[in-house]
Amino acid sequence: MIKTEKVLHLKSSRGRKVRVVREHYLRELVPCYSSLCQAECANEGKVLSADVTHYVVPDAGVTRDFMEILEFREIQGLVFTQTACQAVQHSRGRRQYNRLRSLLKDPRHDCVLFANEFQEYSYCPREKGEPQDKWQTRCVYQAAVWYHDHLAGLKPVVMITEDQGAVAEYSSLNCGVYVLSTLEYLRTFWPELQAAHELYGSIAQALRERGNEGTEREFAEHLPAEVLEAGIKSGRYTQGTLNVNKHRAQHEAFVRFDGSSNKNSELDSDVLVWGGKNRNRAVHGDMVAVELLPKGEWRGRTTALTEGQGEEKGEESQGQPMPTGRVVGILQRNWRDYVVTFPPREETQSQGRNSLRILATPWDQRIPKIRISTHQADTLQDHRVIVRLDSWDSTSLYPNGHSVRVLGRAGELETEVQTILIENCIHIAPFSEAQLREMPASSPERPWTVDPAEVVTRRDLRDTHLVFSIDPRGCEDVDDTLSVRSLPPGPQGPRLELGVHIADVTHFVKEGTLTDLEARARATTYYLADRRYDMLPAVLSADVCSLLGGVDRYAMSVMWDLDAQTLQVNRVWYGRTLIRSSYQLYYEQAQALLNGEESIEKTMEDHKLSHLIEALETLTQVARHLRAQRDQGGALELEGVEVRAQLDEDKNITALVPRQPLEVHETVAECMIYANHWVARKIQERFPQQALLRHHPPPRQEFFTQLQDSARALGFTIDTRSNKALADSLDQAVDPQDPLVNRLLRVMATQAMSNALYFSTGACPVDQYYHYGLALDRYTHFTSPIRRYADVIVHRLLTAAIAVEEGARPAKASASNKELEEMAQHINNKNRAAQHAQKVSMELFQCLYFRDKDPETAECCDAVIYAIRTNGVLVFIPQYGLKGALYLRNREGQVVRVSQDGRCVWEAGSLQRSLDHVSTTTASGTSTFRLFQHVTVRVSVQTSRCHADTLHLELVSNRAHRAPEPPDRTPRAAPPQGTRGRSQLVQEVVRQAEEALLQAEEKKGRVSELSKEEREFRQSKTPNLYSLLEEVREQALLDLTACGAVGGGPDLGTAARPCATSA
Amino acid sequence: MAGLELLSDQGYRLDGRKATELRKVQARMGVFAQADGSAYIEQGNTKALAVVYGPHEVRMSRSKTLHDRAVINCQYSMATFSTAERKRRPHGDRKSTEMSLHLKQTFEAAVLTNLYPRSQIDIYVKILQSDGGNYSACVNAATLAVIDAGIPMRDYVCACTAGFVDETPLADLCHAEESGGGTSLALALLPRGGHIALLQMDARLHQDHLETLMEAAMTACKGVSKVLDQVVRQHLQEVSALTGE
Repeated sequence: MIKTEKVLHLKSSRGRKVRVVREHYLRELVPCYSSLCQAECANEGKVLSADVTHYVVPDAGVTRDFMEILEFREIQGLVFTQTACQAVQHSRGRRQYNRLRSLLKDPRHDCVLFANEFQEYSYCPREKGEPQDKWQTRCVYQAAVWYHDHLAGLKPVVMITEDQGAVAEYSSLNCGVYVLSTLEYLRTFWPELQAAHELYGSIAQALRERGNEGTEREFAEHLPAEVLEAGIKSGRYTQGTLNVNKHRAQHEAFVRFDGSSNKNSELDSDVLVWGGKNRNRAVHGDMVAVELLPKGEWRGRTTALTEGQGEEKGEESQGQPMPTGRVVGILQRNWRDYVVTFPPREETQSQGRNSLRILATPWDQRIPKIRISTHQADTLQDHRVIVRLDSWDSTSLYPNGHSVRVLGRAGELETEVQTILIENCIHIAPFSEAQLREMPASSPERPWTVDPAEVVTRRDLRDTHLVFSIDPRGCEDVDDTLSVRSLPPGPQGPRLELGVHIADVTHFVKEGTLTDLEARARATTYYLADRRYDMLPAVLSADVCSLLGGVDRYAMSVMWDLDAQTLQVNRVWYGRTLIRSSYQLYYEQAQALLNGEESIEKTMEDHKLSHLIEALETLTQVARHLRAQRDQGGALELEGVEVRAQLDEDKNITALVPRQPLEVHETVAECMIYANHWVARKIQERFPQQALLRHHPPPRQEFFTQLQDSARALGFTIDTRSNKALADSLDQAVDPQDPLVNRLLRVMATQAMSNALYFSTGACPVDQYYHYGLALDRYTHFTSPIRRYADVIVHRLLTAAIAVEEGARPAKASASNKELEEMAQHINNKNRAAQHAQKVSMELFQCLYFRDKDPETAECCDAVIYAIRTNGVLVFIPQYGLKGALYLRNREGQVVRVSQDGRCVWEAGSLQRSLDHVSTTTASGTSTFRLFQHVTVRVSVQTSRCHADTLHLELVSNRAHRAPEPPDRTPRAAPPQGTRGRSQLVQEVVRQAEEALLQAEEKKGRVSELSKEEREFRQSKTPNLYSLLEEVREQALLDLTACGAVGGGPDLGTAARPCATSA
Repeated sequence: MAGLELLSDQGYRLDGRKATELRKVQARMGVFAQADGSAYIEQGNTKALAVVYGPHEVRMSRSKTLHDRAVINCQYSMATFSTAERKRRPHGDRKSTEMSLHLKQTFEAAVLTNLYPRSQIDIYVKILQSDGGNYSACVNAATLAVIDAGIPMRDYVCACTAGFVDETPLADLCHAEESGGGTSLALALLPRGGHIALLQMDARLHQDHLETLMEAAMTACKGVSKVLDQVVRQHLQEVSALTGE
């Protein structure tokens, strides 16, 4: 049965030539897999059809190079030989071979593999001195001949080869076996298959060019995908997303791991990829596989600040060595559209006359220059252009791309705003006709009215509840309203009813409609500094859905039946309602009402005013209690830097205004958080596998190092082990002299946080549902369906949950876990883009603001040092909410010296950096800059041709800036004494009291039984009125400003409006 | 050479065998006149020579003498030219000591040692060319040599390796397959009773697969035993023809 034969192989292992002897067994019965087989081969599985004109046998070279052509479905009757397959495997690697294998397995494709080398009669041993490709061609020819004979000459067999010598040699040897070149074959048999001809042309061209190019490689080749996959599985390579350092785009990039895929458990930080060679053609955002370099080659991240780009520093100052690696392969390109600017004419010409290829500079500094071939370079000078990347070969220093669209002249506001949108992958077209046709009709003359049929199905709150809304001034899309009233006392005592009523968007936007699809694609309303891109058409967002004052509107409500004293929840009601908002307040107005300012009261009609004030007060009480409850759990009070640009009619900026925190902001936010929390509980309970929730993962500890170091410099310790510990230690870290210290520490803590994310409950283990910042075990977004698509989904889920509870069968199956998780990812991405776009547009307007100022008389302002770098410091300007770098050494190597009068001059000298201060030494003296020191800086704008303009800071004096302006321009440093300060104080004390009360209650719960006396006299031990008043007295002794700093501050804003950082 | 394809989609192994097929086995007995028994075997490209002396009185230290049965002394070695690269193989390195021990255990189980108390049987095996399955070649050669020496055994001892690739057990691995990183299991079998004289495996294998793998190895051993039986019979015929009986 078996005849043994031996083949000689020469192969090298570890570079050395080794002679390996392998056995080779031949057999007579090798299945031919043809339905025409006369010899009754054991043909199992796929069999070649009989109704083709001929069989094709491609030789090794053709199989290797022109497989794409052989993949055409039209070409039938393909017989791949084992020789050819092995040639593919050896020369093209696993990827191509797998492609061939899947082709062979594909039942739609008429091709088989013939193991010619194991067939006794078709095998021909390689002769001494015979070149491999000759031998392979001979093998294939032999196989073709055998195949023809095996089928008893029933089908002609065509062998195709690129070897002209073989064509000449073999074509006339046997009748019935034809030998043709590929081109000839295509021409003869497939003249009408145009695509194949074109493909052949382009591949042949590419092959020729590859031969020509042959230049030195600029980069190492990427490893094939299987090798990467195996490497990642074995832990040899690590998979992650490449993040290029914006300030050192040429050299520094980091690879961040996506939590789960990291097998290498000792690697808990990012991996540094240093230099272009190691980055190996990966572009910012690509999913890459990295290999760690040996420990000896590890480097630290550069700690020096760099001014501008392309600057080469003689000495490199580095931080601690960190894991360093090189990119070995790219798993997923993440190329998007890029905005570029063409270089000025002079530069273009120097790049060589004969080529029309131009190196364009992307707006995003993290993206390498892109080579584009265009004739329009001259006309497009100073324009911003969208380009797409095509390829990046290992022989090329730059990627190739092509231009798509021209945006407009650089520097114009419209172009710049468009650039921001494109760079953040935000594509917004106006709403289409078809979408608008789906909208309910509403015009000033004939306003939209409620449908009587609908009214019957909803709970009518128009007459029973006093509903009001509190929003920023001038807000159009009112999506949340509140109500609070007392209920008849229950068995436990008096009761309260708190209601949160949210615009019922899902009533108007049905799932799957055009509007819904559009909203889903946008995922959120985009707020830029000067404009807004709505998620829903204006008729919905500003009119029919918006819960305006004095008109009937549909709403989705959550109503709690609370115990008036303990605020224990007795019952929660969810459902669709009909409301009429009585008052549409704005924050400042509501705060004024609370403070009892008479002037405000006079301006408002007063038929229900007393009710309103009462409700506001109750609401504030409730919110304080809720807040205290969350503080117990460890909710964080964080600080974002928020500034609003005030624009006049012509969109010129008149001022940069930091957001003023009021208590009423917090009150509204607290109610919204409460509603979100309860809805999250509800839908998670009902749909444990497919509810859309929002979680906030705990931050990574190493991000806190800056915060801890900075705090240590001031003698504070920050405990970051849990959110509770962090919140407490942040509360402790107050410098009575400088309220900014606490604020800055909070800003740093905020920076260390990871982003909160939407997720589907089925995709995450239950212990990861926790919201770190808000200290809630379940959280979602429910309260802003007009501007967030996630809320729309949650509304639908809640509706479905209610329907199920009422026993109705849901009309449609809700989205599966997988779909929902994909949706959550999409919304997360869009949210990130929206936030980033908002931030960048804010920066754009900041630049515009400072550009309009005269550089000479440019404003000097107060700044605080919050971090130390080797050649400078990072400062925070509270007045504008700006952060920036302040250089203490310029390009000439001069350093700043502070003269006696506080003025600063540049002199030659050296710079010394330590943990909490940096000092400059010159011939005439030493000056030191400490952490949290106040300095005076001048702000100017650094214009850039290709990138966004940046702000430049210049040190004026090392003393705090004595502001000549009115004190209210610098709000935090000197808050106006008076009502606000006092109200904050009261609020603070009350909150502390609430917390103490809760703690006491907790203890009580543990003790379980009250002592006899306590039961008798119903006397609580703490806090009684006396201690409360004592506290007020103590607080009053403290500096008011200090209290102010601890007080409000933007929340992990949930209900907070456009300017808020979303939690 | 990232991962040779050990088993193709069509079920062929690297050298053209199917999963259950053995390599070609060729053997001769009585290759040396001076020894008491000798044999030469080729299993594919693995070639081994076995020589048996004894039974004779114990020549090693007296203390090793066993009063109820014979001592079996095995020595395994590899020729310097047995692999692709010439390599000096000093006597008694860890690998060959282990192999010697395995052989000793195998033959202690097979030879009827209690017929020769206070005596010693020496088995010397040398690998002339190595291409995977050294142990099984040694065992098979030594069996033939022991038979040639006329020492009574319970049964032939037949050995064979088996590997596991793509959920399929492969019989009689060659060197390329053995070094391919998969599991390799060596099994010495007394085929008639189905007794296992030695079983050795030093790679990871899921417990569920052990049964099928052992099954494959035992079938292969039985195949080997048929070949050995033929060789013995043919040898006897030749010898008897020579002596003219």
